[in-house]
Amino acid sequence: MSSVEFKGVSKAFGRTVAVEQTDLVVQQGEFFSMLGPSGCGKSTTLRMLAGFLTPTTGRILVNGRDITDLPPEARGIGIVFQNYAIFPHMNVYDNIAFGLVERRQDKATIRRKVEAALEQVGLTGYGERFERELSGGQKQRVALARVLVIEPEILLLDEPLSALDKKMREEMKFWIKDIQKSIGITTVYVTHDQSEALTMSDRIAVMNEGRMLQVGTPVDIYEKPASRFIAEFIGDSNLLDVTVVKSNGTRCDVDLGDGLIVPAHVSDTVRLTPGSSAGLLIRPEMLRLAPALKGEGPRLTGKVVDRVYQGALRRYHVAAGRHELVVEVPNRPELSPLSPGAEVQLFWSEESGVAVP
Amino acid sequence: MGRKIPLPMLIMAILGFCYMLVPIVIVVLAGLTAGEFLTFPPEGLSLRWVIAFLQSEKYLSAFFFSFRLALMTMIVATIIGTAAALFLSRTRFIGRGAMRAFFLSPVVLPGVVIGFALFAFYISTGIGLTRTIWGLWIGHILYSTPYVIGTVGAALASYDVSLDEAARSLGASPMRTFRKVTLPNISQGIQAGSIFAFIVSFGQFEVSLFLSAPNSEPLPIAMYNSLRYKFDPSAAAAGIFAIMLVTASVLLTNRLVNIRRLLDRN
Ligand SMILES: Nc1ncnc2c1ncn2[C@@H]1O[C@H](COP(=O)(O)OP(=O)(O)OP(=O)(O)O)[C@@H](O)[C@H]1O
Ligand SMILES: [Mg+2]
Repeated sequence: MSSVEFKGVSKAFGRTVAVEQTDLVVQQGEFFSMLGPSGCGKSTTLRMLAGFLTPTTGRILVNGRDITDLPPEARGIGIVFQNYAIFPHMNVYDNIAFGLVERRQDKATIRRKVEAALEQVGLTGYGERFERELSGGQKQRVALARVLVIEPEILLLDEPLSALDKKMREEMKFWIKDIQKSIGITTVYVTHDQSEALTMSDRIAVMNEGRMLQVGTPVDIYEKPASRFIAEFIGDSNLLDVTVVKSNGTRCDVDLGDGLIVPAHVSDTVRLTPGSSAGLLIRPEMLRLAPALKGEGPRLTGKVVDRVYQGALRRYHVAAGRHELVVEVPNRPELSPLSPGAEVQLFWSEESGVAVP
Repeated sequence: MGRKIPLPMLIMAILGFCYMLVPIVIVVLAGLTAGEFLTFPPEGLSLRWVIAFLQSEKYLSAFFFSFRLALMTMIVATIIGTAAALFLSRTRFIGRGAMRAFFLSPVVLPGVVIGFALFAFYISTGIGLTRTIWGLWIGHILYSTPYVIGTVGAALASYDVSLDEAARSLGASPMRTFRKVTLPNISQGIQAGSIFAFIVSFGQFEVSLFLSAPNSEPLPIAMYNSLRYKFDPSAAAAGIFAIMLVTASVLLTNRLVNIRRLLDRN
């Protein structure tokens, strides 16, 4: 069942188009992320859904109901902001009670719900505190409790982790996902951090310049990106310039130059025409390095140019003809380090090569 | 570890402080003179002129008239100024900068110009405001409102609009959002602005000179008028009370604001 639906929604500010015509369906209970670089229109999309902005064209539906013309207070949508927006003149208790008070619930009910919400976010006993007495992570929890207590139909989160330090971010990532799952609330999450999107989401929309370029599961997005932009934006990538030789649905053959033709996969949303130039994506961790190895599968011969020690892994830069590739090798004793200048062969399995337009 | 202020800076600060304080000290001492005339240094100290002020029908009524005028001006200026500041900060349109400058212009325009302009306006339109308390009130409001716009505008500039958005999406109407979220968070700016408006109106001279009605003079005009004919120390005594009133209003608000903070802490 669809929970959120965008029908031809776009938004222009004067002459700048922040969001191009977008059609989108978010399913009931889904954790849906919008991922893209700064200024690509993520917040604008979210703010239209929350009711702070009116779309220039199109309609927005929530659970089948057209909410395009409703003010924010009539939408039943909860939003958590990047800076949390905790009311500084109220203590934590009153912050969380705010939405319930606006709904004219009686004192006893409010008390019960606020206490339950505090417990849910692990802040029992923090009711009397004020915003300035809370850490970033605690503010985050209050902001979430304040929204969840009104039992919204949709939960919106606009870069809720970007103000936290790395360790806290990791922790909150799983915490938010856990809460979301346990309530089963439809969630739209905005981030420019690909690792957040990959870990938390059921589906991700990759955005650039106001357009949703690809919508799919984290596996789809990471392993079958639909364009060079997505391939490069998500994860580390080797993108080799190739020519399409043969194309057949989700499989194709590409020419790496010098007549070296290898098979590759293609996202099912993409059509490649033979003869056109394309990119061959091979993730650094998908490549294997060996001085010389007999075996099956596509391979390239090259020379180690540089080696970077990164603790858990070693990162090699390898020149292979006109291509330059990055290879990540786990730091294990049996994989003895290769020195710059060493002749090597690069292997990858057929499935890990993806052709992108 | 105590914070060390460089000596030259300390000397400058003390000099600056004295420069501002000396006129006040002179007025206070002159008002406490035991002599017949307004002189400095005073010829001995006494409460003679203070008592004279308290017994002077003219000064007392001028003092209370100014007080009431400043109070009424403060109320209207606070409302208009807050509304104007909200409008200026919450809307985006071409000419907004020009409009802001226009609203704030009474701060930079000499009071004489405003006073005279209004005087000429009242006379030439004949709307019956010339030298009436209503006309004077309007003049004071015009003169004081920009101070409220300035302080409330500053409070709004640092106000995080997502607080309002959070309140809205939690179910509060625009009015409720303003009352329960915006207003409490800009109240310090509003308070500061209203004190400014009160003080500016209480001490206003040039605008009042053109607009005050003959039978109800504000204190500065009364002091000026009496000094024109007689170099009378009771004018300085009146000054003492004016200084006391202004100081008290500043201290009082300071106290109120601090108490609020204290309450928030616990
Ligand atoms: N109120 C506005 N007036 C004019 N232009 C705006 C307004 N809000 C956003 N924009 C423009 O719309 C585009 C998209 O902005 P948006 O805030 O949606 O980006 P974003 O993807 O959320 O970026 P970030 O990751 O930096 O938050 C930007 O080019 C921005 O300058
Ligand atoms: Mg944004």
